[in-house]
Amino acid sequence: MKVTVRLFAALREQLGASSLEVEVGDGSTVADVVDRLADRHAGLREHRFATALNQRYADASAAVGDGDEVALIPPVSGG
Amino acid sequence: MDATDRYSRQILYPEIGPDGQRRLGAARVAVVGLGALGCPAAALLARAGVGRLDVVDRDLVERSNLQRQTLYTDADAAAGRPKAEAAARALSEANPDVEIVPHLRDLSAADADAVLDGADAIVDGTDNFDVRFLLNDWAVKHDVPWVYAAAVGASGLTMPVIPGRTACLRCLFEEPPPAGSAETCDTAGVLGPVTTVVGALAALETLKLLAGREDAVRRGLLQLDLWHNDLRPVAVEGPREGCPCCGRREFPFLARGRGGTASSLCGRDAVSVRPAGDGAFDLAATRDRLQRAYRVVDVGSILRFDVDGLRVTLFADGRAIVHGTTDEARARAVYARTVGS
Ligand SMILES: [Zn+2]
Repeated sequence: MKVTVRLFAALREQLGASSLEVEVGDGSTVADVVDRLADRHAGLREHRFATALNQRYADASAAVGDGDEVALIPPVSGG
Repeated sequence: MDATDRYSRQILYPEIGPDGQRRLGAARVAVVGLGALGCPAAALLARAGVGRLDVVDRDLVERSNLQRQTLYTDADAAAGRPKAEAAARALSEANPDVEIVPHLRDLSAADADAVLDGADAIVDGTDNFDVRFLLNDWAVKHDVPWVYAAAVGASGLTMPVIPGRTACLRCLFEEPPPAGSAETCDTAGVLGPVTTVVGALAALETLKLLAGREDAVRRGLLQLDLWHNDLRPVAVEGPREGCPCCGRREFPFLARGRGGTASSLCGRDAVSVRPAGDGAFDLAATRDRLQRAYRVVDVGSILRFDVDGLRVTLFADGRAIVHGTTDEARARAVYARTVGS
């Protein structure tokens, strides 16, 4: 199934896109989606971020479904 | 009546009304950090008529601040005035009815109580995670709402925290990212309209809190990427089960002592150095010693002297800003060699 990953701030810059499509198997979790994306973009593993599923905060164990949107939210520090 | 005139348009907005305005006038709020987020937030809160505003900053006004730090003037930068002093003056000019209390200090675990006790809400105007995690621990422990706000480049992130009822910063980010891992205004730049939007959002949620309208406070994060016209709310249910802060009530950022620290200042060719150990710092005695070796400019609350092409500004609490370097070790070394640590 297909999941859309939305990127933000430093992650958008690093991966060069505001959203990417990821293909994962049935029964996958948010963590699986992130792993699949990190297979393509190794730099992702250097970042820490919170995750959201369909615009609600969700932890890595949350189950994803076809057409869902996972957002990666890196902490922002400046000011 | 003057108060009615001044706040008439705000009172006319029914969600505030006369009752909300009275509550604002009786409220006390601390704005910690008076950079590009703290300037607009403090200005809007002062103009809205909060009763007392504590403004806290460790830094001095520099020319590179003026593009986005809207409380300061070119003259403030030329004189290198402490931000807390310059901000207090600008805020008093904007609204003399508000009690403005400046704090020229680097907020630490040791002095958080002294600065924050009595606050009805805290606004995050800082530029670093050390102080944000300290604010989160302090606010949750003392049951005082605070508003996380941050911006870099054209991106921002903000979330109100109402202890026990909303998620806290550590519900989302359990630990601060490792030093040097997050973008700063140094590495990524920052746009004035972006910081002003994020600071204004923080002020708005604070007004809701102070006006007694917790029901209207945003539950969750707002992500902004304004260059790309992207605004995205992220709903966050209540506190996360297992959060070390609001769940287990562990407050490690309050327990960390006043260790000797040095941190480079966002967007600046300067390092802030705080001496290790507690105890009173004697500015006058230090001045007398320094004057043997250096030409020391004494402007009352601060000392200033040059060494090895660097300029050191020394505050009454023993903290220093070393200008002309971003090398923390070098700054610490200069501090140790001149002021002593
Ligand atoms: Zn929490």
